[in-house]
Amino acid sequence: MARVCAGNRRAFSELVWRHQAPVFRICYRVLGNREDAKDAAQESFIRAFKKLDGFEGRSSFKTWLLRLTVNVSLNERTRRKENLPLEDWAPPDFSGDGPEEAAMKAEALARLHKALQALQPNHRAAVVLHDLEGLNFREVGEAVDVAEQTAKSWAYRGRQRLKDLMT
Amino acid sequence: MENEAIEELLQAYAVGDVSEVEAERVEAALDDSPRLREELARYERLFVLLVAAAEEEVKVPRDLRARIVWRVAVTAYLNSAAELAGGLLGAYVRALIYYLRLA
Repeated sequence: MARVCAGNRRAFSELVWRHQAPVFRICYRVLGNREDAKDAAQESFIRAFKKLDGFEGRSSFKTWLLRLTVNVSLNERTRRKENLPLEDWAPPDFSGDGPEEAAMKAEALARLHKALQALQPNHRAAVVLHDLEGLNFREVGEAVDVAEQTAKSWAYRGRQRLKDLMT
Repeated sequence: MENEAIEELLQAYAVGDVSEVEAERVEAALDDSPRLREELARYERLFVLLVAAAEEEVKVPRDLRARIVWRVAVTAYLNSAAELAGGLLGAYVRALIYYLRLA
């Protein structure tokens, strides 16, 4: 980190290598498509590079970077604002592993990504970070800059809405 | 009021994130309510989907890192140039950076 803060671009390149997967995943899951996610992931790292002086080490670098990523993705989402309609749908049983089940599973996941876009931004961020990225609620709270209990409540509301949209 | 509390516990119950006492409260309510049992089944289906989504591989674009590193290099270079140029020319370079979305 010291080398990165001193402006060493090679060290920053190593940081990009280390964190690009979670950053891109979060952008993709918040924004719902790869092209927008690619732009948002780039923007997140550029902002991180510019703001490195402001990183005080009170949280881990990863949490700090994820906070920037969530902000960039949610702002981008607000800017675009379009919400795709969800058609009537019955959840499939994809307990088997044949090609038919794989197709149903892919369809179900595509629908879940679509339903995520219909959630309030804060609720979506909490569900993505906790349920899909595996952060605990303390880490989610740090990433979205709220108390742990608030992060928990956002995830609860998000899942409640997802349940109504998906099942 | 009790119903509301049970509804709130239902999600946590579906993933096993409740105390023994809370689990007993939920189970007693489930025994008496087909609607709550249906709600529980819906949450269970949702959590199956969320687990599948969490396990889904999201491939990072191959050129992502190269693009970021390039933009960082350009940003650093142009910012240094703007600082050196100073004054009006510096403002022009900064406007150019903004316009071209280089930084």
